[in-house]
Amino acid sequence: MSTRTTWAVQRVPEVSGGVRLLATALSAILALIVAGIVLRLCGLPPLALGARVLHASFGTRFGIEDLLLLASPLAACGLSVAVMLRVGLWNIGAEGQFFVGATGAAAVGLFLPVGGTGTTLALMALAAAAGGALWIALPAAARLVLGTSEIITTLLLNFVARLLVDFLATGSWRDARSSVTAQTPRIHAAFAKLPRDWHLGGLHWGIALVIALAAVVALLFRYTSWGFELRVCGANREAARYAGMPVGRRLAEAMLLGGALAGLGGMIELAGTVHRLQGGLSNSYGYVGIIVAVLAAAAPVGVLFSALLMAVVLNAGTVLQTQGLPASAAVALVGLILLFVAMGERLSHYRIAVIRPRATPAGTGSAAAASGAAE
Amino acid sequence: MEVLSGLLSTAILSGGVLALAALGELLAERVGVLNLGVEGLMALGAMSAVATVGATHDPWLGFLAALLVGGGAGILFALATVVVRASQVLCGMALTMGGLGLSATIGRPFAGQPAGATFSPLPIPLLDRIPVLGPALFQQSVPVYLAFLLLPAAIAWLLFRTRHGLTLRAIGENPAACDAAGIRVAPIRFCYVVLGAAVSASAGAYLTLGFVPSWSDGVTAGRGWIAVALVIFAGYRPWRIVGGALLFGLVNALGYLAQARNWGVPSAFLAMLPYGVTLLFMIAPGLLRRGGALIAAPAALGVPYYRDEK
Repeated sequence: MSTRTTWAVQRVPEVSGGVRLLATALSAILALIVAGIVLRLCGLPPLALGARVLHASFGTRFGIEDLLLLASPLAACGLSVAVMLRVGLWNIGAEGQFFVGATGAAAVGLFLPVGGTGTTLALMALAAAAGGALWIALPAAARLVLGTSEIITTLLLNFVARLLVDFLATGSWRDARSSVTAQTPRIHAAFAKLPRDWHLGGLHWGIALVIALAAVVALLFRYTSWGFELRVCGANREAARYAGMPVGRRLAEAMLLGGALAGLGGMIELAGTVHRLQGGLSNSYGYVGIIVAVLAAAAPVGVLFSALLMAVVLNAGTVLQTQGLPASAAVALVGLILLFVAMGERLSHYRIAVIRPRATPAGTGSAAAASGAAE
Repeated sequence: MEVLSGLLSTAILSGGVLALAALGELLAERVGVLNLGVEGLMALGAMSAVATVGATHDPWLGFLAALLVGGGAGILFALATVVVRASQVLCGMALTMGGLGLSATIGRPFAGQPAGATFSPLPIPLLDRIPVLGPALFQQSVPVYLAFLLLPAAIAWLLFRTRHGLTLRAIGENPAACDAAGIRVAPIRFCYVVLGAAVSASAGAYLTLGFVPSWSDGVTAGRGWIAVALVIFAGYRPWRIVGGALLFGLVNALGYLAQARNWGVPSAFLAMLPYGVTLLFMIAPGLLRRGGALIAAPAALGVPYYRDEK
């Protein structure tokens, strides 16, 4: 027993949501500061650029609309990753599921002669969800039956999906009348714009759909026994099995749901913003979706906010392009933020505890609390 | 004959990239750290090699630059995963994104230009006269011999024939037991993660100085991920990695041949071939395991080690 007041670094097994949020925010800010220092070393003015990014994102109504348009596919991919994170699995393949979902939607939009826009959109969404789920079916089966790590299998299929889209967009689905050689004809079924008197005239109903999806996933997790079982499967698979929950089945459902959500994201981007199937449909949205989900600690509603944040970061890439840097600089920035957030998450489990001497037998409270929390 | 020799030669060239990258990954995984940043490391290595060669016209300096840059990135990754003990999956993804983005940003001025100098072939006397096999196997550049012979031999010897190798493998299996035995887990992990990152990055240099040979954004084309898969497929053994790399190289070479000869398969599907085959090989060990064969990963792979945790 020491007689002086000392301190010790202690590791805490669980931290509260508030501490975690704070750690995430601090890490992201630190990453931005590091990026700023790098820019300064390259002879670019980081503060002025930052101000331009903020102005481009929030300064005008068009900026805000563009930001929301950019955030919606990020949110869909983030949701996809988050659902799987909840059961303790990684979805590195949201990029591919996004593309295959868009392919399914494009197939319906281009070739299925149905009547109204509403029916077509519904069928497109259905095809997109099915496509996304299909794209994760093989990794899911390999994971659950053979125990093959889902990380690399989901990732490899991203390359295949992208090549599939390129094949279709430059081949049999190609728009013969356009001089652009790598895109399909315009798909006429599209989301309607939001009402004009909402003052967000550039936005379409697909964004509302993304928000609704996040809400539905959040409600499923919180208020249904199915969602409860998923959460238990994620927290402690053995406990879930012991409690008689169908663990394998729940994991499969979570993976298929994750695939379907990313696929829907592809459909929303296609029917809302791009209107043609093409290789440039996704700007690494599936990969950025990973950090979107991690920033939100896999909370479905939180995903909406972190998607907005990452949209600002991607906007920074566009601003950097005006400074002669390629758009890929934004990808490096996303990587940097991810690295810092991953470290911050772990460092938030440490705290500095002040250990006071036990001067009198009555004054043992604080020391006991400190040593008790260290266990 | 000519075709067969060319096929084999291409297989060895493209397989060598995978072998180098995978051998680097093996070093990290054997001490229990899963480095998913190979793709980013390769991109960094590929870009810095071409940049260096553009200034110096010496491929070996380019190779060295890739090793150094890879080691530097490896230090960052090891700080995050071994010292801070952050999620290895997330840090790996971060390294991949950071490496791809950074290399594309810095490398833009010389994207698409041919490399300033490339590795010249070093024929092995007499052996290079063997019909078919000679030109393919024994008229390659030094990095090819390095990837297929020297490095796997060195790693196999280190891992399975030395006491230090036993320590390395033990750290990958049970760091707590090693710690109890007085082995310093974190420093050894740190060193081998950095060394592995340097080797993986050198695969990028070999790609842009020996195989492609030029730098462009996306030149790595998922090879880093295939290398990670290859380590699993090869059951974490160096010679099997070399064999697997040759197999993948052959698949690649067949793809090129099909394209050149116009066998009627759309090029997009030929380009899918390596990923599809990798997927197949990812799943195959699982099927084998069900049949009784055992190709297990290091038990502590991907798990950060804390002394106070059981």
